[in-house]
Amino acid sequence: MRLLLSILFTATLTRAAAQSDFYLREEIPLPPGEVMEIGSIALMPEQKIAVTTRRGDLWICSGAYSEDLGKVTWKKFAQGLHEPFGMFWKAGWLYLTQRPEVTRLKDSTGGGLADTFETINSDWGINGDYHEYAFGSDPDKNGDIWVVLCLTGSAGAASDWRGWCVRVTPDGKMIPTCSGIRSPGGIGFNSSGDVFYTDNQGPWNGSSALKWLKPGSFQGNPTGNKFAKLANFPSPPDVADKSRILAERIKHPTFIPPAVVFPHGKVGQSPTGIVCDQSNGKFGPWKNQLYVGEQTHSQVQRVALEQVNGIYQGAVFPFLDGFEAGLIPVRLDQEAGLLFVGGSNRGWASRGSKPFTFERVKWKGRTPFEIQTMTANNDGFTITFTEPVDPSTAGNPAVYTMEAWTYILQSDYGSPEVDKVTPRITAANVSSDRKSVRLKVDGLVRGHVHHLTAKGVTAAAGQALWHSDAYYTLNEIPR
Amino acid sequence: MILRLFSVCISFVLPALAQDGGQLFTLYCAACHGADGNGATGGAFPPLAGSPWVGGDPDRSVKVVLHGLHGPVDVLGKTYNLEMPPQGAMLPDDQVAAILTFVRSSWGNQAGSVTADTVKTIRAAHADRKEAWTAGELLKLHPLPLERTALTHLISSVYPGKWDRLPDFSTLKAESVEEEHDGILSVTDSPHKDSYAMLWQGDFQLPADGEYNFLLDADDAARLIIDGELIVEVSGSGPMDGSRSQQKKATLSKGSHKLRVEYLEISGFEGITLGWRGPGAKSWSWLSDQKAASGTIREPIPIEPANGRPVIYRNFIAGTTSRAIGVGFPGGLNLAYSADHLTPELIWTGAFMDGTAKWLERGTDNNPPAGENLVTLAKERFLPKEARFRGYKLDKDGNPTFSIQIGGQFLLDSWRAESGALIRKLTVTGSALEVPIARPAGVTIEEAAGKSVIQLSPGQPVTLTYRWK
Repeated sequence: MRLLLSILFTATLTRAAAQSDFYLREEIPLPPGEVMEIGSIALMPEQKIAVTTRRGDLWICSGAYSEDLGKVTWKKFAQGLHEPFGMFWKAGWLYLTQRPEVTRLKDSTGGGLADTFETINSDWGINGDYHEYAFGSDPDKNGDIWVVLCLTGSAGAASDWRGWCVRVTPDGKMIPTCSGIRSPGGIGFNSSGDVFYTDNQGPWNGSSALKWLKPGSFQGNPTGNKFAKLANFPSPPDVADKSRILAERIKHPTFIPPAVVFPHGKVGQSPTGIVCDQSNGKFGPWKNQLYVGEQTHSQVQRVALEQVNGIYQGAVFPFLDGFEAGLIPVRLDQEAGLLFVGGSNRGWASRGSKPFTFERVKWKGRTPFEIQTMTANNDGFTITFTEPVDPSTAGNPAVYTMEAWTYILQSDYGSPEVDKVTPRITAANVSSDRKSVRLKVDGLVRGHVHHLTAKGVTAAAGQALWHSDAYYTLNEIPR
Repeated sequence: MILRLFSVCISFVLPALAQDGGQLFTLYCAACHGADGNGATGGAFPPLAGSPWVGGDPDRSVKVVLHGLHGPVDVLGKTYNLEMPPQGAMLPDDQVAAILTFVRSSWGNQAGSVTADTVKTIRAAHADRKEAWTAGELLKLHPLPLERTALTHLISSVYPGKWDRLPDFSTLKAESVEEEHDGILSVTDSPHKDSYAMLWQGDFQLPADGEYNFLLDADDAARLIIDGELIVEVSGSGPMDGSRSQQKKATLSKGSHKLRVEYLEISGFEGITLGWRGPGAKSWSWLSDQKAASGTIREPIPIEPANGRPVIYRNFIAGTTSRAIGVGFPGGLNLAYSADHLTPELIWTGAFMDGTAKWLERGTDNNPPAGENLVTLAKERFLPKEARFRGYKLDKDGNPTFSIQIGGQFLLDSWRAESGALIRKLTVTGSALEVPIARPAGVTIEEAAGKSVIQLSPGQPVTLTYRWK
């Protein structure tokens, strides 16, 4: 009998954790018969939510917070917009980044429809090419909207300022801010208010990544460099083909390396929207971490950033999965702790098999046993877990594996994983509170993605990790 | 010693060679082509299962994987216009070979394996290539095997002669009669280039009871007759470019039906396209060697005014600038205002815009106005460089006023439709302004008779009425 109980107990504990144990993912009903390819989401007062569609409609949803999603209602507020990717609400206006301009709109008469469409800035070029997308941020602390401008056809620079990030000030000025961009999928802030965007694998971008838009920086793709002369800026670096990011950024200090590389295929294929968790634990123990949407794999990844020697870097962890279409915008209601996501797979396929979707995710209050953060040390990494670990597993260096690689910086499309090495984990010291483990690693490589697996680590209470992979981009080794 | 070294090498090399094609497919390809090879999102992306592109000569698929594919491509009766990104810079030869070997032997595909050497050879042969392939380029180099059609016992007859419409075949004697074992209608079965008619007769095997769609296009004339009933006809003479193609529906039962296709070539180019789509089928099947161009099988998405209010369309409109704002007024009068040139540029009547060019797939097609009587009002900017577009307001009926700021003054440009005419009201604030007025053929502007410039003064708006002749 005791034996049977203990077998049952073990069986329960070793059952693989599932997303539904921790998070409730629900589809929000959409207006029937409408093509709701959602490109941006804005939170409004009174728990209303505005969404824009790729066909240029703007709808307002009521009831998306209610327990019973059967009560959701929709009202069309505007139409005839040009594929907006970025929207927020501020003081009675909805601010939009449309493909040709930054706009704000409102209903000035109370008629229930937007009637005032003010163009704030339209100083960048567009030429009708399908790929010249524009993704816009929420306002920064100065009220500026940051806009990342995709290259023409994602590989050329046929219109002014393609491949650049520009800031649009509240009084309608455009300030070119960063160069070197290829094909963005979203833009957002970290907890310190620094701005990040996601860029997709392709020419001069070996793998997709989350990148830091440090003002004045170059992001790696020289296609749009020629536009610097339009503003009498110094020319961005003319990086060498078939090189490495590390080698080029040592030569060219304005080249800021990707903060976190998302290895192609392993952690999605097309990262999109970015949101920082400042909900104080209402969405799980991920304070100040970033959630990043994923179009192709219909996922949300989780990112923990740190700054080392003045450069951002950190780890990406697989997080939420199984969304119904390719995700584009992500939006967290920091008060309610609700994550809203929307998306479309028109033109670019996704694992989620619906043509478009609008969903919300709620934390069930149960903490998954996960790697919470991964930070770099001079001689390895510190891995912090969400629950106390069992030292007999977590303290054993043999339960971990590590592999590290980088990518070719090249004009060709993407890159294989190259310069592969296998750093050796020589010690795993569990902290006194049993919440973290300090890994001593022999063979860290500056500039490489370090892929850690921690499959054998168990919690003090016995359960296995929900996700056991972490991918840390080691731009800088702490001194 | 040599032996020992050799065995050490083997133990290092083998794991690197053993690429798992299925796993690599899942990682890099399945998001678009579907884990089941049927194309993601219920076939919105090209299928690989059963695709003739995948079978036969492996060069075709190796080239697509290495350099990508650009532009429209027909796969199993459906046209896709997406971009296959090149994978050659990311995937080494052995991984490409493993993936293609997996694809060619999965989901019922039964083509042979692809070696890393084959990939290496093709990669080296096209090392200088920068662009993606197009379907046309690849098909010229590596033609697809012809697909079998639903026609059996197909007999073609050729009748030389000069007619300006389809002749009465019962009075004619065929010059030649052949059985077409491939079941495919093709004008290449005729020895003539001009001045001939053809007749095809055969058994058409239908898979189910229900409603069938037929698409017929020809250069010059053709008609489809099933069981003695005329189903669809293209009459007169002209090109086979989709502009004259006809689609008709018919309710038919499962099983064998008598098919009869009559065809006439007058002079110049020749060809026939005949497609059908059974109950529940999402794509066309073809009975002809030529297939309809991609644009012709899309159902139109008319963008039109609703509830008596104008509709705004803001996407690219061919014939004006990228920042054009289209306005479709009730009553079939339409405007495209350029927010780049700060002036109205196009007006037209009838249908406003069709959403298919920009609202499906990646939106790569050109999108001209959908209606008629297109008039170009301007092609360039007349205001100074500091003039800026400031947006637009809609009145209670949804009619727009476009706003331009020139330093401290504003130019307001209001439009509405009334009794078959477009009414434009121009207002200026600050100081006086000259506005050039184009007076193109096709429309009259009563108030501007004989003028090419309007003098605008603050507090004195000017109204212009654009009426089609």
